[in-house]
Amino acid sequence: MAKAILYDTTKCTACRACQVACKGWNELPAEVTTNRGTYENPADLSPTTWLKMKFREIEPGGKVRWLFTRRSCMHCTDAGCVKVCPSKALYHHELGFVAYNKDLCTGCGYCIEACPFDVPRSDRNLLTGIAKMDKCTLCTTPGLDRIAEGWEPACVKTCPTNALQYDDRDKLVAEGRKRVDSLRDAGWANANLYGENELGGLHVMYVLDDHPSVYELPVNPQISAATVAWQDAIQPLGWAVGGLTVLGLGLNYMVARANINREKEKKDVAGS
Amino acid sequence: MSQEVEKYSKPTRILHWVHLVSFCILFLTGLVLFIPQLGFLAQDSVTRVIHRIGAVVFIIAPLIYIPMNWQATKRGIKEAFSWGASDIGWLKAAPRYYFSGDEKDMPPQGSMNTGQRLWWLIVLVSGAIFTITGLIMWFAKTSAPAAVLQWMVFIHDVAFILAGTMLLLHIYLGLFHPLMNEAWKAIYKGNISAEYAKKHHAKWYEEVAKSKEVKS
Repeated sequence: MAKAILYDTTKCTACRACQVACKGWNELPAEVTTNRGTYENPADLSPTTWLKMKFREIEPGGKVRWLFTRRSCMHCTDAGCVKVCPSKALYHHELGFVAYNKDLCTGCGYCIEACPFDVPRSDRNLLTGIAKMDKCTLCTTPGLDRIAEGWEPACVKTCPTNALQYDDRDKLVAEGRKRVDSLRDAGWANANLYGENELGGLHVMYVLDDHPSVYELPVNPQISAATVAWQDAIQPLGWAVGGLTVLGLGLNYMVARANINREKEKKDVAGS
Repeated sequence: MSQEVEKYSKPTRILHWVHLVSFCILFLTGLVLFIPQLGFLAQDSVTRVIHRIGAVVFIIAPLIYIPMNWQATKRGIKEAFSWGASDIGWLKAAPRYYFSGDEKDMPPQGSMNTGQRLWWLIVLVSGAIFTITGLIMWFAKTSAPAAVLQWMVFIHDVAFILAGTMLLLHIYLGLFHPLMNEAWKAIYKGNISAEYAKKHHAKWYEEVAKSKEVKS
């Protein structure tokens, strides 16, 4: 039974308690930041910031709206990062999340390039290439696994307005749809449940009162063409070409040796 | 019978071996990323650091060789790009020759035969591709757009499949094929017997014989 997080933007006050709880539970140090003239802080996700609230101001029809969005791993079913990870450090948890075994990370950074939501982060030594990726594991990090204990993720646990819920994914889809319906009844014609079907179904879904683009979420996110061409075409082709080459060379060796020995014997017989 | 001709000069042989060793290091440390079961070898970036050390040797070795052996470089590059009708004849006759030793349809060859020149061309082209895509992935990893980096990986892999499988063929022909019994000598000691040269590189041997460089 897949589990999920449901994030309701319309209930979120952007108190950022989830950000703090995430840091606290996962033992992530705070970052020194500077005042950029916004409550949004820190400026971006980082190896030590796996969850942050994004603030956005828009003025539709001269009326200011202050929008809040969660920025963290969306735990896709069709996850580009899992697809490209060469060491299987990234893998699908039995409950559907994209879990992560950091010990196995090679630092190649392919997941960073493959993520449609621009979520994984790493500090990289540009000369040696040494790096380690970090991202939200939905509290399944070994040693800090809340899910295995049957608990909610830290961000959900701390949310004071119930904008974040953790439950069976099916239940949350039903709950999300209900919320969307009531938003539509209240006049939000573009209200939608983001993540219900995106990338095979996300395990973090958003109740939005407007089109995803208003929240700067990717509309119809896809696994990139390069990822597909690389993983589904070139890698199997490479193994096939390599295997056939080795097979062909083995065959050639046996046939050529037999033929050439026969020729030699003929010559020896003729010469004697 | 005891006559020998120089096939590869010392600098060329040194470049060959240095390049081969660095390519094998690059081959193996790269291959790790294709086999999840071997992922533990790449843990903590270990094989990726080794891959970079291999890459430095792979790129710098020819850069040292080229200015010191400018004439040989020019000749080599020219050979990689000169193709003619006899090459098609060679390709047609090659399967019979390599499987059954039947050489009657094989056109006489220069210092490198068609197959060797094909491999040499692959070495040049793939070497350039590896270097360009590799340097971008190395130094533009944090600045280039994600899509660019993804396609660099893709192209790097295509070159790897081509050059990697052809390297297997190259090693096989050099070390194991029953007819290529002096190829190893040519690139290890530098000399091959006049007899082998006549048989495998007739056109080249004639030129060498004419210029009277045949050592006895």
